[in-house]
Formats: sequence, C-alpha cells, structure tokens
Amino acid sequence: MLNTDAATLSPIALFLQADLVVKTVMLGLLAASVWTWAVILGFFFRLGSTRRKIATFERDFWKAEDIDAFHRLHNESDLPIARVFTAGVAEWRRSTVGGQVDRGGTRERLATAMGAAVANEIDQLSDRLNILATVGSVAPFVGLFGTVWGIMRSFTGIAQAQNTSLAVVAPGIAEALFATAIGLFAAIPAVIAYNRFSHGINRIEARLNRFADGFHATLSRQLESEVRR
Amino acid sequence: MTRSEQYGLGAAVLGHVALFALLSLAWSSAPTPPPTNKPIEVSLVDDVALDQHAPAAPEPPAQSAAPDPGPPEDAPPPEAEEVAPEPAPPKPAPIVPPKPAPPKPAPKPAPKPAPKPDAVPPPKPAPKPKPAPKKPAAEKSEEADKPAAKPAPAKAAPAKAAPAKSAASAKPAATAKANGTNPKATKAKPTGSLLDDDFRKGLTQSPSKAKASEAAPGATMDAKAAADIGSAIRRQVQPCADRQVNPGPGASRIVVTIRLSLNRDGSLAGRPTVADDHGGVDDENRRYVDTVDRNAIATFSGCAPLRGLPPELYDVPRGWKTFILRYKLPG
Repeated sequence: MLNTDAATLSPIALFLQADLVVKTVMLGLLAASVWTWAVILGFFFRLGSTRRKIATFERDFWKAEDIDAFHRLHNESDLPIARVFTAGVAEWRRSTVGGQVDRGGTRERLATAMGAAVANEIDQLSDRLNILATVGSVAPFVGLFGTVWGIMRSFTGIAQAQNTSLAVVAPGIAEALFATAIGLFAAIPAVIAYNRFSHGINRIEARLNRFADGFHATLSRQLESEVRR
Repeated sequence: MTRSEQYGLGAAVLGHVALFALLSLAWSSAPTPPPTNKPIEVSLVDDVALDQHAPAAPEPPAQSAAPDPGPPEDAPPPEAEEVAPEPAPPKPAPIVPPKPAPPKPAPKPAPKPAPKPDAVPPPKPAPKPKPAPKKPAAEKSEEADKPAAKPAPAKAAPAKAAPAKSAASAKPAATAKANGTNPKATKAKPTGSLLDDDFRKGLTQSPSKAKASEAAPGATMDAKAAADIGSAIRRQVQPCADRQVNPGPGASRIVVTIRLSLNRDGSLAGRPTVADDHGGVDDENRRYVDTVDRNAIATFSGCAPLRGLPPELYDVPRGWKTFILRYKLPG
C-alpha cells in the first residue's frame, strides 16, 4: 500500500531510494530523534513530579515540629530535597556527637555538606540534558552532510546520464533534502526542550539552595541553643 | 536509566513509528498533484505525408474487379476459339466492314483510286455469303483450322475473279485480317460478350475483395495514416516530453527534425538522429540548439517502446520503419 514512486513525499519511499551514506545519516538522525524524545518525555514527567514533590516536602518540613521525627519519615526518600535534608541532618549528628562542639566549624561543614548534596542532585537531574544539547546543535549539521552527499551523487548522476533534465536530479535532491529534514526534525525539539528543561532545573536548583540555606539557618540556631544549654 | 526514561523511550519509539506510518500512508493516498505543463508540440514533417495523396485504400474493389474478369476470360477462350469457327461468319462480318472501309483498303489500294468506290460496296455482300457456305464445307472435310480458312477464301477468290481484281485484292486483305484478327479476336470477344462480363463482375466481387484485403494493396502510407501514426507517437512520448526542461529564453522556438529508426515491435533500432538544419534558430537561442537536440533525443528514447503502431505500415515505402518528426519544446 506504500507508494514507493519517486514523485512522492512518503518518508519510507524517500529513505529506500537514498544512497548508503544518506541512509546511514538518516538512520542515525532517526535514532537521535527517538532518543531525544525519550529524554524529553522522561524529563517532562520527572521534572514535573519532582517540582510538585519538592513543594509538598518543603511545606511539610516547615510545618513539622520535630526534625528527628520528620527525618525518620523521609529517611529513605530519593527526592533531591530529601537528600539535601538527610545530608544536613547526617552532618549535624556527626558534628554534635561528641561533648565538645566547634560551632563555627559545624556551620561550615553543614553548609558544605548541603551544598554538595544540592550539586549532586542537580548533576543527577541534568544528567541527560547534555544529550538534548548535543542533538540540538549537531543534528542539523549531520543532516546537512547527508544532503550534501546526496546532492553530489545527484550531480554525478547528471554527468553519467548526459542529460541536464531536472527529472534526472530531482529524486536524488529530494531524498538528499530529506536527510536535512530529519536533522531539523530531531534538532528543533531538542533545542526547545533543552532550553525549557535547563530553565526548570535552574529553578529546582534555586529552590534546593533556598531550602538548604533555610535548613542551615535552622540548624545554626539549634546549634547555638544546644551549646548554650 | 530510570523508570521515567524507560517510559519516555517507549513512548518516543511508538510516536516515531506512528508518525512515519501516518506520513507514508497519508502522502501515498493523496499524491502530489501533477505539474500542469504546457503540452509539447511534436508535428509531422510534411514530406512524409504530402506526397502520396492517391487514396489507394478506397480503390482496391474497383481494381480487383477489373483484372478479375480477365483470368475467367482466359480460360474460356480455347473453347470460344473452337466454337468460333461456327459463329465465325458473324465475326468477320463486323470486323471486315469497318476495317477495310476507313484505313486499310485506303493505303493498300492507294495506287488504285478508282476501284475504291466499287470495292467498298461489294465486299460487304461478297464476304458474307462466301465464308458462310465454304466454311461449313471446309469443316466437313477438315477441322476449322486457320490454314483451312485461308484456302477457303482462296477458293472464293477464283470464283469471284470475274467481278474485279480489286475485289480479289480486298479479299486477301479480308482473309489476312481474319487470320490476323485471331489474336485480336480474343480481345474482341469480351467486347462481344459484355453481358457476361457484367454478370461475372457481380458474381466475383466478394472473392475479389477478399483477395484485396489479403494482399493489403491499400497498406500504403498516405497522409491520414501518417497523421495517425504521428499522433500515436506524440501521445506516447508526451510524458517524456513534459519532463524536458526549457534551457532558456527562446529555446522553445527551435524546431528540431528528428529521425526515428524503429523495430517492428516499436522499440528503437538505434539512437534517434537529429537533422543538422534547425528551424527557428536566431541569435538569442543559438546556444540552446544542442540542448534542445538532447531534449528531443531524450524525449523519444525515454518513452521508447512505441505501442499501437499499425504493423502493416511498417515496411511499406515511407512506412514507420524510419519516421521523421518535428520536435519543439513546449512554451
């Protein structure tokens, strides 16, 4: 049922008529597009749920009376904000386990530990973002390479056929341009998603940092009161 | 790979497959509209067709009717010759009077002007009775031979010797004519038997038509047949002609005379050749001549196996074994 005529825009027909190099480029770009969309969809679901859970966690945290009880509740959670919280609590416990407490050193270690936890979580969150960046910037060039190759082949076809008629070159140019089309097809969503998700991750990072600062302030206050006691 | 990424990968693969299948099917069901090109002009060269205007095709029935009575006549003549001596008297009768009267007695007895008036009236009655009784007599003794016929007038001559020498001179002439007209008699007989000829024409018309169609005497390249073949070729090369690209301004004024060498199955026996003289070439489009030549050759070789050309006109003089056309770019 598929139309494999030369005078068609059917992607499968265009692919089947193409040169081996152009076919390779097309397949690579198609794989890139699939992978890009997998990353995009994964990011979309993960960032949305992460943002919602972070908001809920933060609201619950500030309402919580007992930090230790709250920590027991969220000890096993893999939320970024919960990991930052856990890192802060762990550093706090390690620093206050002995009788002698260095307040300045403890504040500094708390800040470092929670900053490291935030950076670690953001690294994990933005792990796949580089794929979007790479595809968005390179896919047009790869498609252009396929197009240039296909057009070169079409022109050698002109030379062989001894015929300047457009009918000789038109199918080759169409299938060559299809490579660029696939490249743009993969690159445009990748670029849009990269910008959108880097913005979302920046917001999450800012939120984690604000939480870490707030938690650090809380622990710092606690440190002063406990040492005074 | 986290779980959300696995879900994303599955959804992405499904989405791509669905998208490409949709594009393939949608575009194949609704093909791109064909470009509306101006039709190419492929016109016949005049010298193919104009020369034989003789409408040979309608003639054959008439021609076949005419030769046909001939062969049937050839068969009967021996019988007619045998029978001829019996009705011979009437035949010499009509033959003799006209011939001696205007030309032959005139030159022969030319030295004798006087006997003419005498000779003209008497021969008519004289030969009539004389051969009549003598030939039956001769038939009784011998068969009706020509030598036999000769002595018969010879006998009559001495009997008539009394009337006049001119009469005797007229009689040998008459006998000589009678002998000489024997070959003529075969020709003269059909004229005598006109009724039979007409009758046979009517009878033999249907067989004569069958013969005409078998021999295909009407399969000559006349103007109409050439035009039909030209339009059939034009119709078949039109798709290839539409693909040719106009190389530049003025190129559509160039008229190329192209000669096709065809096989009997309609395929090209060789690469089409282009005549050197082009029409419509001026300074503006002179540089496109070669390109238009190539377009013409590509047009006719691209749609090469030409179908539906009349096979009986392939090998006749000016048939489509080699066919000359004029080619012109559209526009």
